[in-house]
Amino acid sequence: MIDGLDPIIHVPKRLAAMAVLANAPSVSFRFLKDHLQISESDLSKQMSALEAVGYVSSTKVGRGRGGSTTYRMTQAGQKAYEQHCSALLALIRGA
Amino acid sequence: MESIGLAEQLAAAERGAAAPYVDYPPTPWWYAPSVGVWAAAMIGTFTWWRENAGLFVASLAALIAVEILFVVWMRRRHGALPMPGRGTPPVEIARMWRGYVAALPVVALIVGLVWWLVGVPAAAGTAFVLVTAGLAFYERRYAVAAAATRARLR
Repeated sequence: MIDGLDPIIHVPKRLAAMAVLANAPSVSFRFLKDHLQISESDLSKQMSALEAVGYVSSTKVGRGRGGSTTYRMTQAGQKAYEQHCSALLALIRGA
Repeated sequence: MESIGLAEQLAAAERGAAAPYVDYPPTPWWYAPSVGVWAAAMIGTFTWWRENAGLFVASLAALIAVEILFVVWMRRRHGALPMPGRGTPPVEIARMWRGYVAALPVVALIVGLVWWLVGVPAAAGTAFVLVTAGLAFYERRYAVAAAATRARLR
C-alpha cells in the first residue's frame, strides 16, 4: 500500500468498477462495460483481478450470447473500498 | 503521486458511485399504472379478509410473488438497480428518495381514511389513483434530478 491506498483498487478502471459495485446489490457485466467504456476482454481482466483478491464475487447464468454475468462486492471489498476512498480524500485534503 | 491524479481518481469514483442511480433505461409508460393496479389489488384482497381466508392468503401470496418477479425483472433490465441501505446516493437523488419515503405514510393515511369511512373498494380505487399519479410525478422529478447529477459530475 502507498499512503493508505490499495494498489489493487488504485487502478482507475477498478476504482470506478468498485464505486459502481458499492452502490448496487449486484451489477451486470454489460452495465460495467457501458459505464467504463472498455472492451469485454479488458473488463474481464480487471474484474478477475478484483475477484482474485476476494473483493468481488461473480455469478454466471447460461453460456454464449444469451448468458450473463453479474458481480457483487464482498464484505472484504466493501472494507477495502471504503479505506481506499478515505485515504484518497485524506491525501487530496493534505495536498 | 500528484494531487491532480488523485483528484481525477476521486472524480471517477464519484461518477462510478452515481452511475447506478443516474444511468438507467427509460421507464416504460405502463410502470406507474401497473404499480397503481398492484397497490389497489393489495387493498382489494382485504375484501376476502373475513369471507374466505384461503382466497385472501392466496391472493396476497400471488401479489407478493408478482412483486418479487417484477423486482427481478427490473434488476436485470437496469443492470445495477440501486436499493435503499446499499451505498450512498448522490445528493440530488437522496433528496428524491427522502421525498418518496415521506410521501408513503401520507398515501397510507389517506387510503386508510377512505377505507374506514367508505370501504375497501373505494380505498382500492384511491390507492390506484394516488399511487399512479404519485409515481408518475416522482418519475418525472427523478429524471430531472438524475440529469442534474450527470451534469454536475460530467
